[in-house]
Parts: sequence; structure tokens; C-alpha cells
Amino acid sequence: MTPDPGPATAPAAPALDAPRAAARRAAARPAWRDAIGRWLPHLVLWPPLLVSVVHVLGFTGYTTWMSFTASTLMPDYEWVGLRNYTAVLNSRNWQIATDNLLIYGAGFVVLTTALGLLLAVLIDQRVRGENLFRTIYLYPMAVSFVVTGTVWAWLLNPSIGIQRLVRSMGWGGFRFDWLVDREMAIYTIVIAGAWQASGFAMALFLAGIRSVDADLYKAAQVDGAGPWRIYRRVVLPAIWPIFIAVLVILLQYTIKTFDLVRALTGGGPGIATQLPALVVYDLMFQRGLLGRGSAAAVMMLLSLLLVLVPYFGFMRWRRHREARHG
Amino acid sequence: MADRLTPARVLIYALLAGFAAFYLVPLLVVVLNSVRTAEDIGATSVVGLPRELAFGNFERAWGSYCIARRCEGISPYMWNSFLMVVPATIISTLLGALNGYSLALWRFRGDNWVFGIITLGVFLPEQMKLVPWTLVLRDLGLTNTIAGLVLIHVVQGISFTTLFCRNYYTAIPQELLKAAKIDGAGFFRIFWRIVLPLSPPILIVTVIWQFTHIWNEFLYGVTFTSGAQQPVTAALIALSVSVSEAPQYGVQSAAVLIAALPTLLVYLFGGKYFVRGLTAGAVK
Amino acid sequence: MSATTHRRGLLAAAGLLAVPSVAMAQASAPRPRITVISQWSAGSDGAAISRLGEVFTAEGGVWEHNPVPGFTTEMMNKLRADILAGNPPAASQLKGPEIAAWSRIAPTVDLTQLVAAAGYEQVVAPDLARLHKPQGRWAALPLQVYRTNTLFASRRAMERVGATALPKTWAEFNDLAARMKAAGITPVANGGIRWDDGQKFECALAGINPATYRKAIMELDDGALRGAEVLGAFRQLRMISEWMDPAASGQHYSTFLPRFVRGEMGMLMMGGWAQGVIRHAGFSDQDYLVGQVPVDNGRPCFVLNADAFIFWRRREPEFQAGQTLMANLVMSPRVQEMYSQITGSIPVRTDMDLSGAGWSTGQREAAASLAAAVQAGQSVLSLAHNMAQTNQMSAAMIDVLTEFVHNRSLRPEQGQQRLAEAVEAAR
Repeated sequence: MTPDPGPATAPAAPALDAPRAAARRAAARPAWRDAIGRWLPHLVLWPPLLVSVVHVLGFTGYTTWMSFTASTLMPDYEWVGLRNYTAVLNSRNWQIATDNLLIYGAGFVVLTTALGLLLAVLIDQRVRGENLFRTIYLYPMAVSFVVTGTVWAWLLNPSIGIQRLVRSMGWGGFRFDWLVDREMAIYTIVIAGAWQASGFAMALFLAGIRSVDADLYKAAQVDGAGPWRIYRRVVLPAIWPIFIAVLVILLQYTIKTFDLVRALTGGGPGIATQLPALVVYDLMFQRGLLGRGSAAAVMMLLSLLLVLVPYFGFMRWRRHREARHG
Repeated sequence: MADRLTPARVLIYALLAGFAAFYLVPLLVVVLNSVRTAEDIGATSVVGLPRELAFGNFERAWGSYCIARRCEGISPYMWNSFLMVVPATIISTLLGALNGYSLALWRFRGDNWVFGIITLGVFLPEQMKLVPWTLVLRDLGLTNTIAGLVLIHVVQGISFTTLFCRNYYTAIPQELLKAAKIDGAGFFRIFWRIVLPLSPPILIVTVIWQFTHIWNEFLYGVTFTSGAQQPVTAALIALSVSVSEAPQYGVQSAAVLIAALPTLLVYLFGGKYFVRGLTAGAVK
Repeated sequence: MSATTHRRGLLAAAGLLAVPSVAMAQASAPRPRITVISQWSAGSDGAAISRLGEVFTAEGGVWEHNPVPGFTTEMMNKLRADILAGNPPAASQLKGPEIAAWSRIAPTVDLTQLVAAAGYEQVVAPDLARLHKPQGRWAALPLQVYRTNTLFASRRAMERVGATALPKTWAEFNDLAARMKAAGITPVANGGIRWDDGQKFECALAGINPATYRKAIMELDDGALRGAEVLGAFRQLRMISEWMDPAASGQHYSTFLPRFVRGEMGMLMMGGWAQGVIRHAGFSDQDYLVGQVPVDNGRPCFVLNADAFIFWRRREPEFQAGQTLMANLVMSPRVQEMYSQITGSIPVRTDMDLSGAGWSTGQREAAASLAAAVQAGQSVLSLAHNMAQTNQMSAAMIDVLTEFVHNRSLRPEQGQQRLAEAVEAAR
């Protein structure tokens, strides 16, 4: 498991054209210093990359293997073929969870990205108290998710939260009972999730916007472009890598959403707000079915590849095109 | 321009304030509960105004509430969390910046595959990795140590930090690097002199992410530590309840606020690195 | 409960407690030491186990309690990690059929001789004893018992509809609930989380017929599961769900206690622990009536929930001495009295005298009911609290029950069929 940063990795090492230049400059230095200078980057770079790669592949491989075994409370290496998969696919919990994942995923990603971008653009308008606003939008991430889920559960509960408050202010017919409505409860998770994550999306967008070269702005302003046009034509194209980062982060957030639901709805009313991560945990640790839970986890990751593979394909295509066009 | 109140600017401030209000409502509930007595909350509702101010909740939460027979509040657990979160955040951020730099600016054969696999790492749910991590920590002899938790958070965190940094660094023009290479700068010199000065916004984003996630992580914290070594999230949960007990919402809310302070301070003080001009200035 | 049996129990316990003290006297004997994992970190649970630790220390032992806060699953994860690392705790909290399941994955201590020496098996409900001796050997010891079919009725709500006594049968319950509804009171004050939903069902079925409950829920007899009385329980569950506050979904029952005490809500079916919670919220025992959830055959029926410790085998002599001391303490009347008086549960021993000032009316009534229900063969194990089935089976069954409670378009016939199918699939 220990990554080997030694010569074996050299052929795949960064194709540094720097050493040539460095060598020219360092001609006067002793050979050993030169060697260190050449190898140090590899020594520093490869271990973390390798640890990451081994962690991802190793753990995924282990889980995949477990998913074909009869493991219950403890890992057990008796092979059972696809039995765990069929059991998970046939369970109501899993069917509800996958449907919910689509609704929640789409709602959450769109809402959070939109909110995050909007807030970043608003904050970028050289406003006073920027630091305060930014901290207010970010703080939901600071509080333990178990806690924020609980607080939202109170606020969204019709008998003690917002509905009661609005009614007590005189609007007697006001209804806001999504939390206890089987059809609508999943949207309360969208709201609470967006509340929690949009600040971070804002921070990422803001980091991107602030890194756009000031000259580009000036040039656009000189051309007489309005602020809306500058954002659309100059800023947004320049920060597309940030969009990718935000989408990946939100996607992983969607897939891994766990604490929030556990505290907000507990998967209810009934089992109406089950999500795959809850099913995985429930199978593995509540029901003591490690094999079956692993099968659910593997299917969760496979569904993810449906999104990621086209993305990497697109990246490849884009890179090739860029290379061709110089 | 910032001082003239045109209708557009009024609208901007109105929107900012409106959103701020929306974001603050849940915090308000927690703050109000933190100064309410348990009887007050129990007898009325968890959403409401205090009948009398009970600031004692903070004192109890910090230093005298009994968690597992240790009546020291959450303060010792806060310290445990610091011991875990500070090294894990620094190491994972640093490694992520290096990884991102090499993946974005020093293309090598298979770099896309490496990046793809590392990115996949952000999607692995921690529930799935609990058993493998148990085995790894056992084999390394790190069960029930804070070092074990640091290791977990660094390894998992590299996926996120690499993703953030790599995507940010791809926006750095290749011309800058070429010029530096012609000047004879090597791998670390370019990183140190060119890339790092451009990095504060993304590094603060990375630190925010790592710090809050490690600080708030619960599952590994309770599984891989014991008793007096547990992080603060474990103590926060311990303040809340099981089936058979009425929640101590007052003390709990106070504890939640105290426990959130370090993260809030990171946001507040880290925020100044977002200021525009820094990057533009550095590039020139 | 006769005074003689009680005295005999005390004498036996006194003898037991002397054993470790004698052992201590021998210079060569190791100092008893114990490591414990539980989820009891705060509140009265935390206070009770801390007191147990004090008693343990007073007997000359070294006590190391390591609470794992959060849900039970988190504690199980910790236990799994410790077992995998080859370092299981000397004792850990575990309950119900999971004791048998977990005792298969790591060696446990054989407590059979200790239990026999204490004459303990005779004073424990037979179903409970069976759970703690997988393969016929005692590996775990129950610590305290709760009745999950306890009915709390709001005194003010009862006064508003002119009722003075708790309903004895489901027909009376339904009648009273209808009167409350007509008076603008929400008849059922329960919450709407998983275990609460499961508990409402077990109350219904055990009340309709404890024997059917045993066959259908504990023995998973297909005929009983598809029979008329289980259908009746689903019908009753549907009525209960319609009498709940629509906002109960996902809520802990304690959320509604203020409304319950004010008389805006009528009846709560909850374990005995609710007494402590009500007191804790600043209300008095006078605010409610307490007794047994309706049982149609009129006799005592006890749906049993119990907490327990399982003892993991350790080689170290100090741990073995500690486990012996711990086991004897947990079986002793004085520790059971101390424990239950803090948590509001009732003792595991059915031979104890609860007339002392430290016990509440509710505890006395529940303890008497346990002894009588055991006599009448009407004590059964709780489904909702993972006493009747392994976690896997319980979870599959409660999935159906909780969905049924919150999806009112499901007919009782559909609920029954789904339950039978879920059992079939999870077998």
C-alpha cells in the first residue's frame, strides 16, 4: 500500500521541461545537488497522488468485493454472486431512494448553483459590509449538520414553526406543511440543503470572479459594455473551471447527503424521503448487512459514473480541440 | 461609485439583506434557545422567545455540563478537535495545492486519469469507507488515536483540495510558466514565486472546506476515538438525547454556538483574502 | 410480592456481593477492572450508569466507561471497530436478539455459573432470560426493563370530556378518542418517527391478543401474520394514525408534551421512560393518568423492552475479575433499585418490593403488571425496540408500519399484505 516514490515511477513522472533550463543555470553546481533538484519534485509529488489513488481504488475495490459476499455484521468472504444486488434492487426503500435522488439532486444542484452565483455577483458589487454578508451566507456550513437539520425540522414543522408564526401574525389560512407531506417532504431537504451549501458555492464563485484579470474588465468597460454584459461575456467564460468545481462539489454533496436527512425527516414521513446514502448506512450498520449495504454503495457509485464519464469525455475532447487550435 | 445610492444599488442592498435574513433565521432560533431554560423550552416550544434570560447555559456548556461523568463541559473536546483539525487542514491543503499545481500546470502522461481517480474520491460516502478504514487503522496501529483521525482526514481531504486547486490553477496562463521556465525557475521556485502568490482566494476556500468538514465530522470521530479523546461533535451529540430523555435544548444550543465559533472566525478573518486586485497585482 | 421472597433475594445478593470482597482480601488477586461501551452519555441514563460506576469503584474495582453518543448504530460501529482491532470492551450495551447475533462473531464470557449461583434465572421473565443465553449459555445480563405499552392520559383532556378512568379495551379507547376529537382535542399525542410508529402497532396487536402477537411478531408465523387479528391491529393503527396531529411526522413525542399537559392532546402510548421526560419538562405526575394500553382480554399484558450488557471474553485476569464483579452487581437488587429509580424503568427482577418512597406509582403499577403478565403468559417482546427480532427483520417490518402510518391511502389489508411480504423477503 505504501507508495513508492523511487525510480520505478520515473517514466510516468512529470514531463518537466524545466530541468533543461534548470540544468543550464545550475551547470556550476555539484552533481548531487543537481540530482536532488531533479528528484525532489517527484519525491514530494508522487506520495500524495499515489496515496489518493490507492485510497480511492483500494476502498472502492474492497467495497465491490464485499458486495458479492455474504457479509453481515462482520466482513465475511463467502461468495454469493449477485444476490445482494437483486435484494437491494427489489426493496421499496431503494426504489424510493433512487427516485428521490433524482428529484433532490436536480433541485438542489440548480437552486444552490443559482443562489451561489447570484450571491457572489451581488457581493462583487463593491458593497459595504462585504465581510459581514459573506460570513452570514457561509455560516450555515459552520454549524454541525445534525444541528442544522434539527433546527430546520422545528422551523418547517407546521405546529411549531413558520406556519404557526405566520398564522399567529393574523394570516389564519396560511399553510406550509411540506415537512409532513409525503409528496413534498423531499423539497424541504432541497431547501435546507441549498441553505447550507449555497454559501460555499458563493465562496468558490467569488474566488473565481476575483481572480479574473482586471485588464479584461477594463477593456470591456472601455468598449462600453454594461455590468450584465461584462459578467456574461467576460467573467462567466473565464471562470468555467469554477463551475465544474461547484458542480462536482454539489454532486458529491447530493450523493452523500446523510446527516441532514437523518436530522430533518429521519427518512420520513414513513420512508418517503429515503436517499441512497441513508439506505447504505441503514443496511450496513442498522440492519447489520454489510454485503447488501456494499451492493447499494456500488450501485450508487455506478450511477455517478453515468454523470462523470461524459464529463471526462467532454474534457478530453475540449483539450484535444484546444491543442489543435494552439 | 460605491457611495452613490442609485436605485440599482438600493436593489442590491435589499437583495443582500433579504438573503441575509433568510440565512439567519435558523441561527436566531439557536441563539434564542441558548438563553432559555430547559423548563421554558419544555413547557412551551422549541421555537419561541425566552421568558427570562438564562446566560448560565453558556457557562454550563463550556465548563460544567456532565458528559459521561466528566463534568467539564465541551471545553476538553474542543481542544481534541483542534488537535485533529489544525494539522489535518494544513497538511491536506498544502498537499492539495501541490497536487493541483502539478496536475494543472505540469502535464504528464496519465495526468487525466490520476485527476479523474482523485476526483472520484470526493464521491465516496464515508459510511462506505468505515469498515475499510477500521482495517487500515488496525494494521497501522492507529486505532483510538487522534493521529489516526488526522490520517483519515488528510487522505480523504486530498481529493477535495486537489480538485479545488487544480481547477483554479488551470486559469493561470501558460505564458507565465513558460516565461519563468526560460528564466531558469524550477518546479518549486515557480510554485513558490508565481503560483502561491496567486492562491490566497482558493486556499481560503480550501481551508474553509477542510476546516468545517473535519470540525463537524461525527461518524469517524465517535468510531475511532474513545472517551477523553473524542472530538467536539461527539460531545455535542452527547448533549442531545436518546429515546428516554428530554432534550437539554438550552445548554445544547449554547454548546452548538460555542462549537461553531472557530469555524466562524476562520470565515471572518479568511474573508479578507478575497479582495480583488490582489491577483491582478501579483500577475503584473 | 411476598416479603419473604424479597428478603431471600436480598440475602442472596448480599452473599454475592461478598464474593468479590473476599477475593479482594487475597493479596495475589488482581484488582477488578472493567471497560464498558454504552450510548448512555448524558441525562438520567448517563447519571444511572455513572452511579453504577461509583458502586463498582466502591467495591474495589477500576471503572472505565466509554460512552458513544448518538444513535445506537454509532455505538455498534464502535464495538465492531474494537472487535476488529482485537480489543473488545469487557462489557458493552447490547439488547435483544442482537446478543445472539453478535455473540457468534467474537467469544463471550460464560456467565451461566454466576447466574446459577445467584438463583437469578428464576426471577427473570422467561422470554428475557432466553435472549440473554444464546446456545443455552448466559452471555449477557439484562439491566432494566421498560413497558412499551404504557398509556398516559392528559388529566385536563380527560376532565374536558368527563372521563375519569383509562380505557380498558380498544373499543373503550376508540370511544374515548372519538369524544376527545368531538371536543376539539387531538386524541393521540404520539410523535411520528420510526420506532414510535412501530410501537403504536405493537400496542395495538398486543392489546388485541397477546398470543397472536407472540405467534405473528415473535415467531413470524405466516398464518398469524395473514390472520384476522393482525388485520385488526392494522385497522386500529389506521384509526390511531388518523387521531394523531398531522404534523407529527418525523417528530419526537416530547415535542408535543406541553400540548398534552395543557389538555390539547389526549393520550400517549409510550414507554415508562416518558414519566421522567414529563417531569424533566417541568410538569407534575398529577398532570396525567398512567396505566396499561388497552388489552381486550382484560388481563395484564406487558410488551417488554430491556437494556442489557454483553460480556466479551478477555484474557487479562483483572478484566475477568471485573466482569465477575460487574455481573454480580447488575444482578443484585440494590443495583437494580438504584438504577431504575434514576431512569424511571422497572427492575429486571420480578421479586422486588417497590413500596418504598423512591418508586413512583407508574413504576409500581408496571412492575406488578410484569409479574402478573409473566404469570398469565402475556408478556411479550417489543418489536419497535428490537427485542422481538434481529435488527434486520425489525427494520424491514417497521419500514412497512411507518409507511402505513404516514400514508393514509394505504388500506389495512394492503398494510397487512406488505408486512407479510416484508417478513418473507427478510427471512
